[in-house]
Amino acid sequence: MQLGAYRPGSSLVHRAPLGLKSAAVVLGSVAMLAAAHPLATGAGALLTVLAYAGAGLLRELLLPVRLMWPVLLVLGGFQLWQAGPWTAVTVIGNIFVCVLAARLLVLTVPMPRLLDGVVGLVRPLRVLGADPERFGLALALMLRSVPYLLGSSADVRDSAKARGLERNPRALAVPVVIRAVAYAQQTGDALAARGIGEPDRD
Amino acid sequence: MTVQFRAVEVRAPDADPGDAPILHPFSLDLSESRIAVIGANGSGKSTLLRLVNGLLLPTSGRVSVDGADTARRGPLVRRRVGFVFTDPLSQLVMATGRDDVELSLRRSIRSADERRAAAERALERFGLLGLADRSIYDLSGGERQLMALAAVLATDPAILVADEPSTLLDLRNTARLRTILAALPQQVIYTTHDLEFAADADRVLVVDAGRIVQDGPPGECIAAYRQLAAGKPTRQRAE
Repeated sequence: MQLGAYRPGSSLVHRAPLGLKSAAVVLGSVAMLAAAHPLATGAGALLTVLAYAGAGLLRELLLPVRLMWPVLLVLGGFQLWQAGPWTAVTVIGNIFVCVLAARLLVLTVPMPRLLDGVVGLVRPLRVLGADPERFGLALALMLRSVPYLLGSSADVRDSAKARGLERNPRALAVPVVIRAVAYAQQTGDALAARGIGEPDRD
Repeated sequence: MTVQFRAVEVRAPDADPGDAPILHPFSLDLSESRIAVIGANGSGKSTLLRLVNGLLLPTSGRVSVDGADTARRGPLVRRRVGFVFTDPLSQLVMATGRDDVELSLRRSIRSADERRAAAERALERFGLLGLADRSIYDLSGGERQLMALAAVLATDPAILVADEPSTLLDLRNTARLRTILAALPQQVIYTTHDLEFAADADRVLVVDAGRIVQDGPPGECIAAYRQLAAGKPTRQRAE
């Protein structure tokens, strides 16, 4: 399952500079969240869908819906109960539009460019002791880990089902956690073996 | 390049003094072009390999690569020694092969354009350019292993260490991997359960229960390993 992998293309959205796309996502999201109004959410959603259409990635809109609907349903139900239908629509809509917008950025920028961008953005923090390369690497690893963990959860669900344990929360949760820890350890080993994240000097 | 092990012993970090070590004390010089390490599961083969690039440090003793101590000069050693894991999915940390090769090159090539060009050359060398932008999850096991190899060799290490690189591969991909490894200019140290693959080496080490019990030419060592696997005693390697 590819939640955050680059989709090659030559559309205007693909070719737009990373800085411009990032600024549009951040400023657009902040404005929409600050307005906290269904109309602002609708406008944000429309612009995001147009951007996906411009990038030729309309089909990609479906995957986050498939992945997020249980969380959105619970949150939406809570908001509906506590604050009424308009607030529920606004909160759920805002979360969803922000996720879609951020995802479009990842889908239209190759990972090495995204890494360069993050490293460049964090570079001024070097005076405070931050390591921009590590910061960028952490972000890249986070994006890479999402499909792994989703796939791992699906495997565990299938294994539990095969043993008739699909309703046992322990049989579902424990292997996922163990696999996640093992994956983190393997990734750490792989990075260490390649000297990635190590200081330039010996 | 020579990898030197001097009075090296490896114990589990939480082991009691009475527990058997993972690797019993040994000394060794590895300078041959192709070195295979064979032995049963859990015998200590992978531990031995992980010592070579400092992924694991010995409990006592010293490991050095061309004079550079793995404990003191880890980053330098890891630039000289590339490491390929059994499961390429554990090794490929980026979403696509191209991204992963570029990640390997980040430290050595600062310019993004030059890095991209170098990554393309590394992928082309293994005939992987057409698969460069595919998700690593959409690649076959053989393609993934070659991608992992390309990512490691992109930085041009002097030594390639490969921990059971053919275990997850079918016959055709194993043959392809063997051909590629045989043609590399690098010194290659690998573990394997495939005795034909082990026979490609100039020198073979047989590891059993944490001890190097045989060390020599492939024919002799493979025969000794067969005896060992059949439960017959084998000649102990002289220290």
